[in-house]
Amino acid sequence: MTRLAEPDRPWIFRTYAGHTSVDASNRLFRDNLARGQTGLSIAFDLPTQCGYSSDDEVARPEVGKVGVPINSLDDLRALFDGIPLDRMNTSMTINATAMWLYALYLALAEEQGVPAAALSGTTQNDIVKEYLARGTYIFPPGPSIRLIGDMYEHAVRNVPRFNPANVCSYHLQEAGATPVQELAYALSTAMLVLDELRDRGTLGRDELHQAVGRVSFFCNAVLRFVEELCKMRAFVELWDEICRDRYGVEDPQLRRFRYGVQVNSLGLTEEQPENNAWRIAIETLGVLLSRDARCRALQLPAWNEALSLPRPWDQQWSLRLQQVMAYETDLLSYPDLFEGSVVVAKEQARLVAGAREELARLDAVGGTLLALESGVMKAALVASQAERIGRIARGDQVVVGRNRYAEGAESPLVQGADGGLFHGSPAEAARTLARLHATRAARDEAGVAAALERLAVDARSGANLVPASVLCAHARVTTGEWAGALRGVFGEYRPPTGVEGQHLSLDQQAVDAIRARVDDLTRRRGRRPRLVVGKPGLDGHSNGAEMIAIAARHCGLDVVYAGIRLSAAEIARQAIAEDASVVGISVLSGSHLELTDQLLATLEAGGAGEIPVVVGGIVPAADAEALRRRGVRAVFTPRDYDLVAVVGRVLDVVDA
Amino acid sequence: MRDLARLITLVERDDAAAPALRAGPLAAIEGNLIAPVIGVTGAPGVGKSTLLGAVAAEIAGDRRVAIVAVDPSSPHSGGALLGDRLRMAIPHGDVFVRSQATAGTSGGLAPRTYPVLRVLRRLFDIVFVETVGVGQTEDDVRHVVDDLLLCVQPLAGDSIQHLKAGLMESPDAVVVTKCDEERLAASAVTELRATIGLARPDTDVAVVAVSARTGMGVSDLVARLRAVSVTRREEDADAWFVRRAVREAYGRQGLTRLAADPTAATASLDERLARALSFGSSPL
Repeated sequence: MTRLAEPDRPWIFRTYAGHTSVDASNRLFRDNLARGQTGLSIAFDLPTQCGYSSDDEVARPEVGKVGVPINSLDDLRALFDGIPLDRMNTSMTINATAMWLYALYLALAEEQGVPAAALSGTTQNDIVKEYLARGTYIFPPGPSIRLIGDMYEHAVRNVPRFNPANVCSYHLQEAGATPVQELAYALSTAMLVLDELRDRGTLGRDELHQAVGRVSFFCNAVLRFVEELCKMRAFVELWDEICRDRYGVEDPQLRRFRYGVQVNSLGLTEEQPENNAWRIAIETLGVLLSRDARCRALQLPAWNEALSLPRPWDQQWSLRLQQVMAYETDLLSYPDLFEGSVVVAKEQARLVAGAREELARLDAVGGTLLALESGVMKAALVASQAERIGRIARGDQVVVGRNRYAEGAESPLVQGADGGLFHGSPAEAARTLARLHATRAARDEAGVAAALERLAVDARSGANLVPASVLCAHARVTTGEWAGALRGVFGEYRPPTGVEGQHLSLDQQAVDAIRARVDDLTRRRGRRPRLVVGKPGLDGHSNGAEMIAIAARHCGLDVVYAGIRLSAAEIARQAIAEDASVVGISVLSGSHLELTDQLLATLEAGGAGEIPVVVGGIVPAADAEALRRRGVRAVFTPRDYDLVAVVGRVLDVVDA
Repeated sequence: MRDLARLITLVERDDAAAPALRAGPLAAIEGNLIAPVIGVTGAPGVGKSTLLGAVAAEIAGDRRVAIVAVDPSSPHSGGALLGDRLRMAIPHGDVFVRSQATAGTSGGLAPRTYPVLRVLRRLFDIVFVETVGVGQTEDDVRHVVDDLLLCVQPLAGDSIQHLKAGLMESPDAVVVTKCDEERLAASAVTELRATIGLARPDTDVAVVAVSARTGMGVSDLVARLRAVSVTRREEDADAWFVRRAVREAYGRQGLTRLAADPTAATASLDERLARALSFGSSPL
């Protein structure tokens, strides 16, 4: 009998979703569930991810942009309105504030009389990849790892079906990791967390093994699906070995490599976007075909994700792909198809051996934490990414519709009235703010103060922070207040700015020419031109701003580097106090219009409307025009890669 | 704030037109009460900005605080990266922070730091100046402040270096930064007391351990700073500034002629500076 006696149950179908407001997201979730989705995967907006309430100055331009804003228990209740918690498997893409969302979820369950033991879900909570790739960290590594440890400790004892952390190889892959690096870095991250739990000594042996069993992974799957399939099998093999040998877990169930997947989004193309539907379908093969290494949950991007957030129909189309695969094909009726395959076994062995070598290298530099803090891991990723980008640029790696077969008939999919794109409604942010104000107005302030005090005391004493966080949730503490109390105790992580260490190769002749212009201007004005440059908003991509700062100093300007994660208003205030000759902001979050408006309005209000403004970032042509109409003097995009030329244009603005 | 920021630019400018443009605004505030100026010095990376941020945020609750932060200019390009305010992490709008570049001057201050401090102390309740770094040749700051804090890190074995560099001879207080652990703090303080005892047996130099991260010691330091009053005569600081300018322009010989200038104390700083410099340029 080749077939299984009983076909397998399908994996969990999810769609990464959430935007605008809790009301809009709740409608979206309910529609998706009604269409046959079997789990939720929640996207949160950047303020929620970075620990700010929606009314914080730094948060305002980002509210509801890339996910749903959650300010308090009132918001979470509205988000889950009509969705039974005990029958839902909820995955939350939340990291630095994972404990807060976990606490809100527990508090909501308590309020609704749902026992904690009935809850199942996952908080992403992988802080290592935030430092390495994604950028929504808040606290330094030590306290961050402690928060994760506290959640495992709590979940193992109280919420046994909840995965407190999802180790992400996904973002490592997007940051450039090769399959071998992905294996090694993800496994070393998992070990970092489990070592913390083991070394605390607060868990009994059985509890520690349960915690090992709760570690889950979040992976990426790209188009090279054969290698991906072997990579997943390598993960299974290595994880089983680590659980057994490093943590002494005997029960094979607890050693299972359990993982969810979002197939590759970064490789989707803007050009001929309909091709992405095929790409997505093919990418599922790597994580579905091999039964021994099949994902537990799958979420698919939408065909138009390189263009905008998906519309409901786009998400439905992706969901249908999963349903066809699970219910129409015979995939779930067979045991592992690759048992005995010599080719697969060899490829798997190659990846396992490579990962072991890479893990040994991490050990040699003193372990994951040191490799992280010293930049060793980051440097390795940057090198792999540069190579990949080079391959595509040279045409060595074919991307159909981009560097090959770029000619084609016009796609009817983008011909509709909406251009095939999602269009948000900015007015919804007002509803979020109104709800936040209502929460503040109705709550008992003494209770809030007491809950926050308990949180700070526990943070200092080293007590498990989950109970105090749940107390905060019930007291209607806000996201910004919860994170603020912990910032007060733990401090904020400030990554190496990179400004000091950057090595730029700039054309010396061009630099000399600019320096001469700067010296001339300095003589004429009695003062060296002064550039205030910073990165407003909450995305962590600081490279652009830093490179401009370095290049401008190299060309002879006085540069005030304001830093990252600031409100545009704060950068404007700095520009005023420093009497800037020009102020530049770099925005990659897509909020360039809102942030520029805030900057210009603050300059204007401060009587400094004449300080010229330049903007850099991923700015579509239409938006660049809109920025110029608002008075922005120059707009720089990734096409402006010649830094000296950029400084020259900034100088033109100063000397206009 | 815009007007103040532009006035400071005017005070910083070194073109020929600037003195006439700033004479009026400066005369208008010359008679104001003056606030104490506190210097913060210490090696690069020791945590001056972070400490200053923590201290200023606390004092800003009930006093108007201004900070001048000085960073070095590149000798090659002439440009500078002014990154101090990045580390100060001051809640927005509460504190006035202005960055300056050394523009080739040695001494730890920018060429026009002192005239700017002179303005700020007439408009704020307390003024801080953070120097570029510290060494024997970089202690100009002691001529312009009422209280000088030296920041050092709690690293064992530093004492001899401190003594050799002569660092212990100027400060009114030594602040041990980054004392995130109490035990480390205690041993660092003991060691420093011994070092200072050797360097300045006759003076009482306070040693304070702080951690900007945990907040340990910050309130004690703030209490000390709140108590600082104006102790240095402004005439002396003015005279030092004029002498420094003359020395930079004409060296020691110029200074000997300057000493004989009888009209010095009666004019504005700009006028004295102009007179001193023109005096120096006459045939000696």
